[in-house]
Amino acid sequence: MDYLASAGVLIGIYIILAAGYNLIIGYGGLNTIAHPIFFALGAYTTALLAIGTGLPPVICIAAGIGVAVIASVFLAVTTLRISGDYLLIASLGFQLGLLQAINNLDFTGGPSGLSNIPVTLSGPARGWLYLMITAALALLVIWLVHRGMSGPFGRAVRAMRDDDVACAALGRGLFTMKVVIFAFGCGTAGLAGGMYAYYFQYISPEQFNVAQSATILTMVVLGGIGTIWGPVLGAFVLVALPQVITFLQLPSSLVGPLQGLIFTSLVILFLFLRPHGLVGTRTPGAAH
Amino acid sequence: MIEQLTRRLVLSAPAALWAGAAFAQQKEPFRFGALMPTTGPEAGYGLDFVKTYEMAVKDINDKGGVAGRPLEMIVLDTQAKPELAISGANKLIDVDKVAVVITAWSSVVKAVAPIANRTSVLELNMGANSPDIAHLGDYVYTVFPLAEVDVTALAKYTREKLGKSRAAVLYINNDTGIGGAKIYRDVFTAAGGQIVAFEAYDPKATDFTGVLLKARVGNPDVVHIHGLSELPQVIAQMRQLGMPQQITSYSAGYNPKLLAQLGAAAEGLIVTSLAPTAGTNPNVAKLLDLWKQVGRAPNGLPYLQYAWDSTVVVADLFAWVDKNKLPVTGENMRKALLEIKTFDLPMTGKLVVTNDHRVDKPVYLYVVKNGQFTLLDTIA
Repeated sequence: MDYLASAGVLIGIYIILAAGYNLIIGYGGLNTIAHPIFFALGAYTTALLAIGTGLPPVICIAAGIGVAVIASVFLAVTTLRISGDYLLIASLGFQLGLLQAINNLDFTGGPSGLSNIPVTLSGPARGWLYLMITAALALLVIWLVHRGMSGPFGRAVRAMRDDDVACAALGRGLFTMKVVIFAFGCGTAGLAGGMYAYYFQYISPEQFNVAQSATILTMVVLGGIGTIWGPVLGAFVLVALPQVITFLQLPSSLVGPLQGLIFTSLVILFLFLRPHGLVGTRTPGAAH
Repeated sequence: MIEQLTRRLVLSAPAALWAGAAFAQQKEPFRFGALMPTTGPEAGYGLDFVKTYEMAVKDINDKGGVAGRPLEMIVLDTQAKPELAISGANKLIDVDKVAVVITAWSSVVKAVAPIANRTSVLELNMGANSPDIAHLGDYVYTVFPLAEVDVTALAKYTREKLGKSRAAVLYINNDTGIGGAKIYRDVFTAAGGQIVAFEAYDPKATDFTGVLLKARVGNPDVVHIHGLSELPQVIAQMRQLGMPQQITSYSAGYNPKLLAQLGAAAEGLIVTSLAPTAGTNPNVAKLLDLWKQVGRAPNGLPYLQYAWDSTVVVADLFAWVDKNKLPVTGENMRKALLEIKTFDLPMTGKLVVTNDHRVDKPVYLYVVKNGQFTLLDTIA
């Protein structure tokens, strides 16, 4: 069933996105909502290289990751001396500004997007091959986050999140830590973008707007912020649930509102009843 | 004897029709998919499209279906967003096993195109008019004329018949707006006119003062606005700014809701339509009668005429495939489309599918006069 494979690929892409975002916001405590723009940078770089140069997919996706990392370092260096609400606003500006640029540049296709991304894998097994690749990449990202957050570096990152003044007083380089986790988290978004571009073969600015931030944030919060498996579970629930609703044979005018209602209800319920998410503990980051 | 036979025939005709219809309902249906925005900002149009599809499907099934089999439509919501369209197309093709998917809205048509081409499923556009749609691949066709048809006619008419020489073009910054605005600019310039302003506005904008003032500085004698559901606000704000110029728009402006929202500010507005009216086509009157039962005027009647006719096209494709004893696959549906080529459609007239993935239609120009759309000219 190619449909299941397609849903699986989307879940895998969102797991990569949510795991990277969880590293930044959950472990690092850096309040940013610019994650979709790094997703977009990965997707657009990959797509433009694939269309314009015909380079192998691995190189195009690597370039996408590279551009996302460079952009994230730029954002980090210019904004990470601020934190909290100020960082949130700065990241929002970065997200909106860059997306407007993509929306108004000719070589990115403007609002029309890019629709002639070449086919890389074909045949009846295409969906399953993509699923295996995406699943492997998602596992790799989860493992890397787990490794990074399990050792001394992870403890330092969590200490920075909980009390940055105390952490700095212990001699830790907060700025370097912030840049590293920001670059890694955003680089994974670039990877997700590259996979998205190759699999769906059509990208446009509206696929990477600020509403994506809400979706990814909800995945992280619902699954369990600051945990390894929380974003995985959150991505699975939030991608699979709308698909399940389409099988209920409901009138089309009901399906959309029902999806919105369930999404909103889940967020409210979790905020009140289980703020630490499905797999989280009351102290974020102490789950493992 | 003859009288008795005639009476029997008359009495048996509805019974036969009923029996045929009932027979059609028992057989495996011919299924097709429709990806439409039934929620979100474009749902006003999307829900009316779906309603019209339902009317058309019912009409076909009441007449006995397609080759004795009922027609069945599966609708999935896209909110006019590409990411939802991709997910919906995958479900329609892989789970519901449809061989043809009807789409509208340019970004949705484009997002579904790679899937249609990859899976060899026919995608029929019934409402988007981006010129790019002609180049989306072997399995993407349109039954709706793309922007070059009506926008070209309108720009030429404005320059040559109305004698306007300085045009300002304001457009929504999306696929539809950019494509249409560029065509208007190129045609108007080629006809000897001058474009004094060429300004885009954000699709989510509610204040258009900036672009309108830029247009005013150019001192145009006509303002072409290529927008969507925000069109009434743009026109209202233009009039509030004291700009009395002639306004033109394309088929999105041919909407009774626009007249109700704008009132006197709509007077003189020239819009295009790509479908005949109830006055010239009695089938349209029947469609309007069906809408009277819904209890309100439909949004974008010409689009609904194409919605009805696209259902008829799909039914004709199924009938051709069935007649030729071919399996219902996307390849065979595409083959049917190219073999039939010319369709005589109830709501919009003759449709000729060409190899360049475009269709040509007469363009009807309307002007708002005394609160009504009045036919100004027809350009064949």
